Amino acid sequence: MAAEKNYYTIDPEGRLHCMKCHVPLIKGKAKFMYLDNGFPVELPVCPVCGFVYVPEELALGKVASVERALEDK
Amino acid sequence: MSQIQERGSTHVYIVNKISKEEIESMVERCVYEQPPFCNAACPLKLDTRSLLKAVADGDFKKALQLYEKIAPFPLILSQGCEAPCEAKCRLCERGDGIAIREIESAVARLGEQSRLGSVFRTGKKQKVAIFGSGLFALFLAGELEKKAYPLTVFCEEPDLESFLHCETEFLDPEAFSQELKRLKRKDIRFEFGCELTPDFFTDKRRDYQVVCASEKAARVFFTDAVCIPELMYFEEQNLVMGLGKGVMPAAFGAKKAALTVDRLAQKLDPRNTRGQEGSVESRLYTDLSEASQLCRVVCPEDGYTKNQAMEEAGRCIQCHCEECLRSCAYLKHYRKHPGLLAKEIYNNTQIIMGDHQLNKPMNSCSLCGQCTVVCPNGFDMAHVCHLARQNMVSTDKMPLAPHEFALLDMLFSNGDAFLARPQPGFEACRYVFFPGCQASAIAPATVRAAYEDLCSRLDGGVALMLGCCGAICDWAGRYEMQDQTVEFLNRELNKLGNPIIIAGCPSCRKELCGHTSLSVCGIWDILNEIGLPKGTEKLNRPMALHDSCGARGDARTQESIRRLAQGLGVELIETPYSGDRSPCCGYGGLTAYANPEVAGEMTDSCLERSDAAYLSYCMACRDRFARQGRESRHLLELVYGTDAGAPPDISEKRWNRLTLKKELLQELWGEDCMEDKLDFELNYTQDARRMMDERMILTDDVIAVLSDYRVSGEAVLDEESGLLVARRRVGNATFWVGFTQEGENAYLVHRAYSHRMQVVRREG
Repeated sequence: MAAEKNYYTIDPEGRLHCMKCHVPLIKGKAKFMYLDNGFPVELPVCPVCGFVYVPEELALGKVASVERALEDK
Repeated sequence: MSQIQERGSTHVYIVNKISKEEIESMVERCVYEQPPFCNAACPLKLDTRSLLKAVADGDFKKALQLYEKIAPFPLILSQGCEAPCEAKCRLCERGDGIAIREIESAVARLGEQSRLGSVFRTGKKQKVAIFGSGLFALFLAGELEKKAYPLTVFCEEPDLESFLHCETEFLDPEAFSQELKRLKRKDIRFEFGCELTPDFFTDKRRDYQVVCASEKAARVFFTDAVCIPELMYFEEQNLVMGLGKGVMPAAFGAKKAALTVDRLAQKLDPRNTRGQEGSVESRLYTDLSEASQLCRVVCPEDGYTKNQAMEEAGRCIQCHCEECLRSCAYLKHYRKHPGLLAKEIYNNTQIIMGDHQLNKPMNSCSLCGQCTVVCPNGFDMAHVCHLARQNMVSTDKMPLAPHEFALLDMLFSNGDAFLARPQPGFEACRYVFFPGCQASAIAPATVRAAYEDLCSRLDGGVALMLGCCGAICDWAGRYEMQDQTVEFLNRELNKLGNPIIIAGCPSCRKELCGHTSLSVCGIWDILNEIGLPKGTEKLNRPMALHDSCGARGDARTQESIRRLAQGLGVELIETPYSGDRSPCCGYGGLTAYANPEVAGEMTDSCLERSDAAYLSYCMACRDRFARQGRESRHLLELVYGTDAGAPPDISEKRWNRLTLKKELLQELWGEDCMEDKLDFELNYTQDARRMMDERMILTDDVIAVLSDYRVSGEAVLDEESGLLVARRRVGNATFWVGFTQEGENAYLVHRAYSHRMQVVRREG
């Protein structure tokens, strides 16, 4: 089976903690969705409650530019 | 909070709000691409403007290249040309037109010839023959050689010198020798000493796909030869031939003949696809107001020297119509003339699948209408962009993101912050004061003072309506939302007894005039009528008056404002581009939301007109000028002695509107408002407040995130920054807040950001 494509990967490397579950966030599977498009990514995720963290640099960088591109489709 | 539905990506084409014909007729008005008058007058279509520019710059090599494009033998043409261009030079209207022919002659004499010739050309297969000699044959040979036809010239002359000498007796020896060199370099095969008889012609023509002849030779071959002058073609005998005498007829004839040869070589009808040939009329507009050097540089008998030619060419004003490009920051930003931009924006609306690359330019026009006033033909870019926006909305292709914040703000103005009440003691009122959403947001104390003043001095009762006139959704092209807004406002006005509307903002006045049958005036008109309130201080200071784009074409308002300002003792500084020519501050058309960079350039272009403090009569202008650090006052602040102070951020603007409503309800109408009290304390660092304003994040959004966090406990601790980061989806965006806990129920917000994409966990 072909390797699953990920558009973006962030490894929290133990620096992020879920305040609700008191566990470190791990690299987990997530999906960005916008205007009927979906993008599989790997983001810091809480292994217990599933909280997906989107860091500021990602939100204002890559995510913002993909948003603009999709809006003009 | 009210929400607006995000668009989907599977589209149904609903209705086209923009017609191709309408855009074409608008594009036609833009004369930017019209040829300059000298170029239009030249049957050979010499790019005279560029040639004169090159000469003025001292680049004679480039000038000669331009000249050689239309003249295979530049010295012959320049010495024999009748220069129809000179009479059409616009400078003739003020003084001496440019001595174009003498400059061309200097270029032909002094210009360095380019050595690159036919080296990289691919030769054509169809062989062409020219019979005869003279100017037409010579020029045609030059044209066809340029087109890379294998060419043979059959002439009676014994050698090349004699061939060149035919009909060029006017050339001085130096010019003759230069043209001879030029002719020798050309890839043309000559057969000299031919006896040009009908039999010779019949015999030779068999070897060639296309045959041409000078008029003299053609009439020897066929005594009944009839030439079609538009084509230079004797159709019956399939012969391309010359007609007429003189340098210019020969040069123009050779151009037409060369095109006919092209068509015949391709076995096509020579009548078709010829384009526009010969001289044309130009519709170009040229501003002559700055033309200063009106006297021709005297030309010595032996022609201009290089310096003289440069000086004379330097007088050329380089006719261009850039009236709108000079004044409009938006067009300047995109560096496109409106005819081209309008075409591209129209094409953008017609894309079914693919990128709409012109969305941003389409949404960046302030719809202010300045271009229409400064354009000699009334080009209306605002109309084009407005229709295009409506079309994008009607076809469900309009992204919500650029306008969502403004649209939500409008819903807030006509929702939580909306107020419509008759004056206390009245059931129906003669007037209603409609200050406009920006006035309540930026200068609430001024709105209150104005309302109280109107109530105290006008008979028949003055109602108050705090809300948005609908300009926001109108500018966004959201026509359905606009219909709903108009219906809502009309219903509320009806409840107040259909009063005369006193608008506090020229844009509201304009918008409301278009949507209600009620009479609408400006507060400035009323104040001129009833006089300034008692105790108004005389200012006796100079201020630069910025006319609102909402008052464009509204002489009464502009005059009324000036009278009022003068009554206040303001020494008005009229700036360039005032009155109807005034530019937009950057707020109009939602430019500030869709393209803050262009909006900033618009504000700067308003402010560079004067160093003085600015006086405006639209609160959005006041706000944008103040944000740029300029002392900026609204006329009503001067009338009522109020000072709105430093410009509020986006959250303060909302808070101001709510507070004004609450205070007025309590104090004038004795109604109490329920207030949502926060059960926790929230503070912001300065940095956080700044970034929230830049990123269009409201305190309400932050409160929503923190409230959610307090219930769910969901947040991430970032060890690096030491911040807790929580999030919440509000409407079409997810807001993230980085904060520290400063006690059990207190939080300090350090950062805030948002994105529109939704993010979910993925299984697997």
